Amino acid sequence: MRRRRVDPAAGARAGALPEAIAALSRSLPSGPRPEIFRRAKFDRPEATSALWQLLFRVLSPLPAGNALASIALEVQARLVKSALCSQGYPRLALAQLPEDGSQGSRELLLALSWLLARGPVPEQMLAQTRVPLGDEMTVCQCEALASLVPPAPHMEAEGPVDVRHVQWLMGKLRFRWRQLVSSQQEQCALLSKIHLYTRGCHSDQNLGHLSVTEAEMLRDPEGGQKVSGAGAAQNLDLAYPKGLHFCTPGMGPRTFWNDLWLVPRLLPGDWAAPLDPGGASACSLLSPLRVLLRTLERESRRLEAVLAWRRAEPVFWQWMDTVLGTCAPEAPAAASQPTFLPWVPECGDGELELVVRELQTLEEELREAVERRRVAWEAKARGCGRGPEWSAARRASRETVEKELGALQRCWEQESGPAPAHGPHRLVRREDGAAGDRDLRAAELIRTLRSQEACLEAVLRQLQGQCRQELARLAGALPGLIWILPPGR
Amino acid sequence: MSIVTVQLGQCGNQIGFEVFDALLSDSHSSQGLCCKRENEAYQASCKERFFSEEENGVPIARAVLVDMEPKVINQTLSKAAQSGRWKYGQHACFCQKQGSGNNWAYGYSVHGPRHEESIMNLIRKEVEKCDSVSGFFIIMSMAGGTGSGIGAFVTQNLQDQYSNSLKMNQIIWPYGTGEVIVQNYNSILTLSHLYRSSDALLVHENDAVHKICAKLMNIKQISFSDINQVLAHQLGSVFQPTYSAESSFHYRRNPLGIDWHVRPPLSGPPSLSKMSLNKDLHFNTSIANLVILRGKDVQSADVEGFKDPALYTSWLPVNAFNVWKTQRAFSKYEKSAVLVSNSQFLVKPLDMIVGKAWNMFASKAYIHQYTKFGIEEEDFLDSFTSLEQVVASYCNL
Repeated sequence: MRRRRVDPAAGARAGALPEAIAALSRSLPSGPRPEIFRRAKFDRPEATSALWQLLFRVLSPLPAGNALASIALEVQARLVKSALCSQGYPRLALAQLPEDGSQGSRELLLALSWLLARGPVPEQMLAQTRVPLGDEMTVCQCEALASLVPPAPHMEAEGPVDVRHVQWLMGKLRFRWRQLVSSQQEQCALLSKIHLYTRGCHSDQNLGHLSVTEAEMLRDPEGGQKVSGAGAAQNLDLAYPKGLHFCTPGMGPRTFWNDLWLVPRLLPGDWAAPLDPGGASACSLLSPLRVLLRTLERESRRLEAVLAWRRAEPVFWQWMDTVLGTCAPEAPAAASQPTFLPWVPECGDGELELVVRELQTLEEELREAVERRRVAWEAKARGCGRGPEWSAARRASRETVEKELGALQRCWEQESGPAPAHGPHRLVRREDGAAGDRDLRAAELIRTLRSQEACLEAVLRQLQGQCRQELARLAGALPGLIWILPPGR
Repeated sequence: MSIVTVQLGQCGNQIGFEVFDALLSDSHSSQGLCCKRENEAYQASCKERFFSEEENGVPIARAVLVDMEPKVINQTLSKAAQSGRWKYGQHACFCQKQGSGNNWAYGYSVHGPRHEESIMNLIRKEVEKCDSVSGFFIIMSMAGGTGSGIGAFVTQNLQDQYSNSLKMNQIIWPYGTGEVIVQNYNSILTLSHLYRSSDALLVHENDAVHKICAKLMNIKQISFSDINQVLAHQLGSVFQPTYSAESSFHYRRNPLGIDWHVRPPLSGPPSLSKMSLNKDLHFNTSIANLVILRGKDVQSADVEGFKDPALYTSWLPVNAFNVWKTQRAFSKYEKSAVLVSNSQFLVKPLDMIVGKAWNMFASKAYIHQYTKFGIEEEDFLDSFTSLEQVVASYCNL
């Protein structure tokens, strides 16, 4: 690990180090007490589990939540090791640490500082847990792809699967899908209404209108309203803030406020829950406004901590140099080490020999089988002849494949232009042509999505055609049998 | 979440009127047996689903009325306006002067395409008035020409244009000894087309409702108005807001939470009686059942009898049985219960209609009236095939 160059004059005053460590600890989510860092320098065992958990929190792709707290320490440790290894962490000693949290705090501290040196970790953590005040949606497919669970291992059914059951499941799936679509349409309609009605109400001229969160705060800061209908009308005067005006005459405010209570129930995720664990249950009894304020305050404190950390950073690196100094020198073979090996269960030497021999025989058998297959194929291929028709056919099929591939690629990348940024974007309703340069226009995004949809539909139709041909072939193969296909949709 | 209703033909319009009337009068009923807040939530939910607000406070039904003759629509509009409590939109209806002559082909192939744009425009206007549309409710009969033919056509259009919305068709099953000679042809053509484009078919048999009027309500001279009111009562108790098991804090947002072909058997208004389970070997097997309970003591009602696995098919992993409850009483009944069932009840009547239609078809009776307007014999054969498939799949549950 190379040493980071630091300015020796910076932070030389006494007390600068505790402040720096304290700032670092405050700027990280579930940051441990500064005492832990000091103990880790001296490789004290009691500091180990806190550091495992911090590393896990930093490296895990999941957002914070109560689910994280329930993961066992061993599991967290193993995940940290593999994540660090896949990022190229050079020190072997970490990979060899026991996973029960009994030792190794100094190694963990070194790992943490390695991560801090590579990238803006506190800022990234902050971005993960920021409070969304606007109505947001994501444009890229990253989240959807990341949340794809690998397919369940193929399980043999006990007996033949009843096709009626499969049909029933398909029907249920289709039904749920349609419910989802209509809920989304409802959400869009209501969002549009809110954005339209609150035009001119936002203090930020760039945004111009309120988001759902902001409108809900204005309407019902105390969170007392739960039922729509007659109830809302009574509180209308109280909730009607000065300066809030409705820009579309004729559309009564009553339906607007009535509808508003529906929307937070529709929005994905619960913004009202504080985003750091440990505060969730206590806040559920507070009014939404207070919850929001608390969350914003917490975020502000983290931001201030990050700023303080950046100012005090050089002191920290000086100190880390001393930590590195107390370690035993590492063997320089780090570069040539293979990647983190999977954990092999301990077995006796005898068993290992047996396994090795079995694998070798298997390899032999497979090699022979491959040879046989290859010989047979070559004989067949030679039988087709290397004549002009064969090469012409080959050329034709290669051309079709290239054409298809090219068409697919073109249509996929067609109107994407600069790739839209990752992460969530705030929805803002504007007049035509008023969008800024860095803003994403809905029309363009829609166009891109439409062309992608057309591509996928073409592929679907082709696959369906292939299925139909296959079915027809199967039907034709059994003479005297009449196939009546189910009424299709 | 709102429902847009499409009332088609004489039957559809008359029933539609009764349904809206029943819904609104229940919503305003003073004997809800629940606290004020609950009542207000109920009223607000019902209002949002079926009515839109106008400035002077009179709710307007979210409905489109379609008929090929002006008489019934005019009657419906004026009856609604006379009540003073609600009305239909001024421009929400479409009618012609011709009628369809009880000919499915005329409704489907002539009226449908000719008036497609106007009708779909009306529907679109209703949809735009809603913040969110949970689906369409289409009321029609099977036996006539307008409701059945145009109904099938409109449902198909809705499938194309609003593919993400749910559609439930309320179908009136004609009397076995009905007066329209070609009612069986109209019925099978309707059913086979709807099977492809609709999400749920809610069936009411005229014969069954007639029996309710005669035996349970002791009405001597049963008119269509009586039948329609019983029907509306049943539908109202299905559609009014309820709580389901998952969300007990607010009313279910999507009332059309039914995605199978359903048919409600007789459901009595008085208190919940214990289901006397037939211990025969021949159970009426259900794919799914829904029980809706309203009124007093709903929390303690015992519905365990419905969960008996013998009632259901073997290939469903878990019982497809749902209960929706609310304390708020419906239409002044202290307790009421509705059973919506997707089961083999359907098989016998369907089989009978298909059989009768087939007999007529075999002798080519009246076919020329259909081929005249573009419905060929192949279309009939296709319909027979699909319906036979339905009967077979239900028999083999």
